[in-house]
Amino acid sequence: MCADDEVSLLVIVVDVNPIWWGQQAQREPEFTLSKCLDAVMVVGNSHMAMARTNKLAVIASHCQDSHFLFPSKSWRGADNGGDDASSSGDGKYELLSVANNLIAEEIRNVMSKSEYKGNSTETLLAGSLAKALCSGQEMKSRILVIKAAEDCARQYMNFMNVIFAAQKQNILIDACVLDSDSGLLQQACDITGGLYLKIPQKVALGQYLLWVFLPDLEQRSQLVLPPPAHVDYRAACFCHRNLIEIGYVCSVCLSIFCNFSPICTTCETAFKIQLPQMVKPKKKKLKQPT
Amino acid sequence: MDEEPERAKRWEGGYERTWEVLKEDESGSLKATVEEILFQSKRRRVIESHEQVRLGMMRHLYVVIDCSRSMDDQDLKPNRLTSSLKLLEAFVGEYFDQNPISQVGIITTKNKRAEKLTDLSGNPKKHIDALKKAVDSVCAGEPSLYNSLNLAVQSLKHMPGHTSREILIILSSLTTCDPANIYELIKTLKSLKVRVSVIGLSAEVRVCTVLTRETGGLYHVILDESHFKELLMMHVKPPPASSSSECSLIRMGFPQHTVAAPTDQDAKPSFSMSHLDSSSGPGLSLGGYFCPQCHAKYTELPVECKVCGLTLVSAPHLARSFHHLFPLQAFTENSVEEHQGDRFCQACQGELKDKTIFTCTSCQSVFCMECDLFIHDSLHCCPCCIHSQIGP
Repeated sequence: MCADDEVSLLVIVVDVNPIWWGQQAQREPEFTLSKCLDAVMVVGNSHMAMARTNKLAVIASHCQDSHFLFPSKSWRGADNGGDDASSSGDGKYELLSVANNLIAEEIRNVMSKSEYKGNSTETLLAGSLAKALCSGQEMKSRILVIKAAEDCARQYMNFMNVIFAAQKQNILIDACVLDSDSGLLQQACDITGGLYLKIPQKVALGQYLLWVFLPDLEQRSQLVLPPPAHVDYRAACFCHRNLIEIGYVCSVCLSIFCNFSPICTTCETAFKIQLPQMVKPKKKKLKQPT
Repeated sequence: MDEEPERAKRWEGGYERTWEVLKEDESGSLKATVEEILFQSKRRRVIESHEQVRLGMMRHLYVVIDCSRSMDDQDLKPNRLTSSLKLLEAFVGEYFDQNPISQVGIITTKNKRAEKLTDLSGNPKKHIDALKKAVDSVCAGEPSLYNSLNLAVQSLKHMPGHTSREILIILSSLTTCDPANIYELIKTLKSLKVRVSVIGLSAEVRVCTVLTRETGGLYHVILDESHFKELLMMHVKPPPASSSSECSLIRMGFPQHTVAAPTDQDAKPSFSMSHLDSSSGPGLSLGGYFCPQCHAKYTELPVECKVCGLTLVSAPHLARSFHHLFPLQAFTENSVEEHQGDRFCQACQGELKDKTIFTCTSCQSVFCMECDLFIHDSLHCCPCCIHSQIGP
């Protein structure tokens, strides 16, 4: 077990894409967003109960913004005068009940008040991860991502920046995927050393979270956990978005192409093409008749 | 004599009344001033050069270490050589972290000769092992600047034109023993577009000043060990590419990692090509990266295939260099009293306790000093701009 005064932070990033969850409620009414958040609260409470110095943060990742569900600004600023908020009838540890109430209240605010502009239906996960990294700087931390909707191809570069920053800070990124496999999260888990799992039965989310994702790094070596997924590290060419095995890379802007072209479309530099050397025919010297 | 730029030397009055910078506060402590000075030096690193300059991403760098008698001096603890080698190990690690498709080679010089410690390669472990072994070597004789530059140039001149050719010299001696005219060699270096930088451990030497000025490199002399580390880390960032370097399309392979299951009938353990040179580590393995052109097996990337010469990388290696191409703008500094909104940092949700706060120029979000440093050093993207950006 870790030392007594070592602070360990768990950041849970929940994908609350309203479109996906709305469709999910129609597909499978037994598993809705509120059930998912119940499972998140269970794992959050368990983490805080494991050691006195453990800390928790929960971020909801929406289509165009990400919000901290816990700890929230209103809790920080106000003093703990509200008795009705903190006391729960069943003698639960006060911190846990405060956390649960805050998460429930904030998620209601987020889902009802978030304005929604534009046509994008994808969750911007990179922003939430960036905020999670900033909040976990001074202490040992790890991030657990619960992903529902599909990947957003637009945020590839920001996502990779976030992954490398996490790797440098030794922060693990674990991923629990509900619906479709996500190549970006597989790469994130592989590079930072975390666990990737696609859940076969969504209804049992709480069980999977407790079994696989609750133990931290030192304890994981003693457990038999799901094997790592096979990650596809092939690059996608910039012209067709196909995965290629051999490609051409521009030396200036590092964009990848599947075919040779004389001009790079990203940085518009003209490339030097190696032409075959011209061989001049040798002139024979005529001997002068003496 | 060529014209030297006018500079105020220390004894010519360049430094005047330096004690006035330090100010005591009410209780007589200098803590606030010291913190202010440290903070300014951190900010300086962030603000420097964020313009759109073309950078040399694929670098071939030779590090020349002076192993002469003067490296036995104990002004850096325990002696100059041990301290330099330790800092160079950290440098090699950072270098490959920031420039994953580049290569490094190490040359040592002593007894008026130069010899290669390691060849140009992209594998950091080899260099770090060689640096660790070099701690036991004896420092003797005089260094030879000419011989070490000549040795480096022999390999650098064959490198393709689109890569950057660099030499970094760590020179502690004040003398050098050269067999021929070094100014001729400087002309050759300039024509081959090799960029030479020098870090001096003792004092400024005129030959190094001319060398770095002519080839377009940097010359610094260290003040103490932490300054030494800072100067070394300055060379980790890719330098601006010279205007005449060629741009070309480089053919690269992106192999997949395949692991044959032990139950598969055709699966046989095999050696990887990198084990031809070194015998460290387990030899036979079932999985690895297979070159798409010739199917030679390798255990690690990036590597240049020994059989067919194709450079093998994986997509994250190229992605590591993207932040150099799209650098993040420096945030504007404001004082915390002027700020009207909430006193909360948008990234870490902490209260804004410092005197200065930082605002992103595009999304107007407010950050505290720690988050600003973290964003510019490691993250390279603003957490709030990501939400509205349409990235590549």
